[in-house]
Amino acid sequence: MTGTADLKEFIAAYLVEAEEHLTVASAQLLAVESAQRAGEKNPRAVRETFRSLHTIKGLSAMVGVEPIVAIAHRMETFLRDYDRSGAALPLPAIDALLRGVQAIEQRVATLGRGEAVLVPSTELLTALDSLGFAETTSKPDPALELDLDPTLRSKLAPFEIEQILRAVASGQRALKAEFRPSPALAALGLTINSVRESVSKIAELVRVLPRAVPIGPDAPGGLAFVLLLITRASHEAIAEACGIPVDAVSDLHRSLPAAAPSTDVMDVAGTSPALIPEDTLETHTRRGVVRVDVSRLDDAMEGLSALIVTRFRMARSVAALRERGVNTRELSEIMADNARQLRDLRAAIVRVRMVPVAELLERVPLLVRGLRRATNRAVRLELEGGNAELDKAVSERLFPVIVHLVRNAVDHAIESPDERVRRGKPEEGLLRITCGSRSNARLELTVTDDGRGIDAAAVARKAGRPKPDDAAGLLELLCIPGLSTRDIATTTSGRGMGMEIVKRVVVDELGGELELQTELGVGTTFTLRVPLTISIVDAFSFECGAQRFVVPVSVVDEIVEIDATSLVHVPANDDGTPPVDILSRRGVAVPLLRLAQIFGLPDTTGGASKAIIVRRAGSPIAFAVDRMLGQQEVVVRTVSDSLVRAPGVSGATDLGDGQPTLVLDLVALSASLSVSPLPRRLHEAARSL
Amino acid sequence: MKLHVVFNLADTEYALPVDVVLQMETFSKATHVPGVAEYVAGIVTVRGGVVPVIDLRVRFGLPPAEATLDTRIVVTKSQDRVVALRVDSAREVLKLDVAKHQPAPSVVSERSSGFVSAVHALGPRLLLLVDLPKILGEHSHEQLPHALLDHTGEPRPALPS
Repeated sequence: MTGTADLKEFIAAYLVEAEEHLTVASAQLLAVESAQRAGEKNPRAVRETFRSLHTIKGLSAMVGVEPIVAIAHRMETFLRDYDRSGAALPLPAIDALLRGVQAIEQRVATLGRGEAVLVPSTELLTALDSLGFAETTSKPDPALELDLDPTLRSKLAPFEIEQILRAVASGQRALKAEFRPSPALAALGLTINSVRESVSKIAELVRVLPRAVPIGPDAPGGLAFVLLLITRASHEAIAEACGIPVDAVSDLHRSLPAAAPSTDVMDVAGTSPALIPEDTLETHTRRGVVRVDVSRLDDAMEGLSALIVTRFRMARSVAALRERGVNTRELSEIMADNARQLRDLRAAIVRVRMVPVAELLERVPLLVRGLRRATNRAVRLELEGGNAELDKAVSERLFPVIVHLVRNAVDHAIESPDERVRRGKPEEGLLRITCGSRSNARLELTVTDDGRGIDAAAVARKAGRPKPDDAAGLLELLCIPGLSTRDIATTTSGRGMGMEIVKRVVVDELGGELELQTELGVGTTFTLRVPLTISIVDAFSFECGAQRFVVPVSVVDEIVEIDATSLVHVPANDDGTPPVDILSRRGVAVPLLRLAQIFGLPDTTGGASKAIIVRRAGSPIAFAVDRMLGQQEVVVRTVSDSLVRAPGVSGATDLGDGQPTLVLDLVALSASLSVSPLPRRLHEAARSL
Repeated sequence: MKLHVVFNLADTEYALPVDVVLQMETFSKATHVPGVAEYVAGIVTVRGGVVPVIDLRVRFGLPPAEATLDTRIVVTKSQDRVVALRVDSAREVLKLDVAKHQPAPSVVSERSSGFVSAVHALGPRLLLLVDLPKILGEHSHEQLPHALLDHTGEPRPALPS
C-alpha cells in the first residue's frame, strides 16, 4: 500500500532527524554547563539547544508523537525565555533539561522500534514546568475559531491552536492543504517528505495530520495528509509547492479579523523580537548534504556486489576462451579496465558509508556525566577521535561496546575520591579514549583508566580456574559468559560486566581483536582493533579436500610452504587427545592443524602443501591446506540461518561459478578448537628441531 | 480451495501450500558446510542470497540419491527464514480443498518421521502435506549437532592442553 509506505518513510525520516537534533541538544547543553562551571556564559549554545528542541517539537508534532511534543515544548519555552533574558542558565535547570533530552531520546527509540510511546512522567513534566518560564507572548484573539474537522482538531495540542490563532491575529494566513500520496505522484518525485520540505520554504508548518480517505483514483492508498500551515504566501503558491490543485488548499480560520491592520513591513519591524531567528523551522541547515537511510546504501552495495560477481564470471569465460587458443588480448585489456572501474566504484560507495569516528564518540561525554553523578566518582574524560572514518554498520555495532567499557571503567575500575587520595593518586580519575586508524583497513580504539586494575587471582578464583600467566589469559577468563557478577566486579576485579558481549561484537561479529593490559593499582587499557568496513574484503582463495574456500587477507599473517623436514609430529596423548603436528617457523613452534581433517573432508592429495598462518591472541596457528588459488576482492554474504551456522564459517561468497564459496574465519575456528596456548611439551619438541 | 505445490520423494507425493513457496529451481550441487546437521545438503545461491538446503530424503530418513535432471529445490519462506528443500522432482501446482485434509494415519507419520501433518486424497492419488516448521527444526535445536562442539556446547579439545 502506498499510503502505509509513505507514512513509514515519513517516520523513518523523522527518526533520523530527531536523533541528529537530540545529539546537538545534549552536546550544546553540556557546553553550556561547562561554560557555566567556568563562570562564563554561552548564549550561542543556549540558542542552538533551543533550535534543536524547537525542531524536534515541530517534527514530533507532524508525526503525532504527543509525549515528545509535551516535553520538547516545555524545554523550548523555557530556553526561549532564558535566551531573551540574557541570564545564565541555573545548573539545576541544565540537569532537568538533560533529563528531558534523555526522555525524548528514549521515546524516539521506542517509536523506532514500532512500539507505543510512553507519556512522560508527571515528575519530569513538573520538574520542567517548575523551571519557571513565563508566557510573554500576546494572547490570541478569542473571537477566532478554526475551520477544521472536529476529529482533526482534537489531535491538535492547545499550544498549536494558539500558535495558529496568534499568527492569524498578527496578520498571517492559516491554511490547510491536503496531499494524497500516489505512485503516480511518487514517480514525479512528490512524496509527503518532499512536499513537507518544499512547503516549509514558504510557510511555517504547524502540523501534518494523516487522515484516512476512501480509496479512489486520486487516493489509491486510502490515505491523505492534511498540512496545517501559517504563511504569507498565496493559496496558489502553496498548491504549487505541494503539487496539488488549488482547491485542495483552504483557509483554516473562519473569519479574517477586520481589525488586523498589519502590513508585512510593520510586522517584521515591529512585533518579532528577532532574538530567535526566523529560520529556526528550517531543518536542513547544511547545504549540499544529503541524509540517507543506511539501507539505501546497502542497496547500492548490493548492486555493486552483483557487478563483482558478474566480473568473476566474465573472467572465467575469458580464461576458457584463452584455453581454447582464442586471442583474448583485447578482452583482457577491457577486463583490466573494468576491474579498475569496479574498484573505484566500490571505493566511492564505501566512502559514502563512512562516518567520522568522532561521531561515535560524541555521546560519550553525556554518558560519563551520568555515570559520574550516579557513582559519585570524580572522572576526567579525555577523548582523542582523530580524523579516522569507519563504516556506519561497524560504528553502530561498536557503540554498545564503548558504552560497556566506559561504564565498567567509571563504575568499577576508578576508585572513590577518598580511596584515590589514600593511594596517592589524584582525586580525579582519568578515563581516556583514543581512536585512530593504524592502517587503511583497521581501526584501533583504546579505553584506558587509571583505576585499581584487574586482580587476576581474584578473577581466576571466581571462575574456578587456575590463575592465568598473562593478560591474554586473564581476558579469556573475563570473557567467559556469566562469569562476571557484581561482587567480583565491584570489590575485587574492578571489571567484568558485559565483557563477553564486548568480545562477541569485536571478535565474533566484526572479526576484530581485543587486547587487555592491566596493572594492579595502576590502571587498565582495553585495545580494540576492528576492520573499518565489512562486507567486501580482500581475500585469498584456496583449495582443501576438493572444496574451495576463501579467507580474508587481513587475518592472514603469512602463507608458508609445508616442508616435511621442518615438521614435528607429536603423538597422541594418553588422555585421548588427538595427535598434532608442529611447524617450526623461524625457530618458533607453530601448531599445524589439518583443515581437511577438522572439516571431515576427503584427503585428496595425500598431503597438504601450504600452511596459512593466523594469529590468535598473539600466538601463531597454522592451517594446512592443499593449494592456494589466488587473491581477489570478494563480497561476503552472511550465512545466518541456524541450519548452517558453523564454527569457523563467517559467510559465503560467489567466485563467479554461481556456487557459494565459504568464507572462513580461521581465528574463530582455532578458538573453537581451543589450541592456544601451545602446551609446554610442544615448545620442548620445537626447541629440539 | 488453496494452491499447493506437489513434489515427489521416493515415489511418494507430498504437498506444500504455495504461500510458503518462493520458487522452484533445478539443482546440481550445494556447497557443503562442515560441522552442520547431516540432513543439511549445504548452501546455494538463490537470487543473490545464500540459502541453506535441506535434503528431504535424509531428513525423512530415506536413502540418499544422486541428483538427476529432475531434481529440484523448493525454496520456502516462513517468518524471516528462507530455506530450500531438495526433492526428487516437483512439477505440479494443484488446487486443494483444505477442508478435505485428513489427519495423517500413524503408519504414514511414522514412515515420514512425523514430518507429515495431514493427508489429502485426490481421486486415486494420496498427497502428504508436510509440516514445514518441523522440517526446519523451528521449535528445537537438538537436531543441530556441531561436529566441532560436544553436546554441552563446550569446545572439544582437539589438542593436548
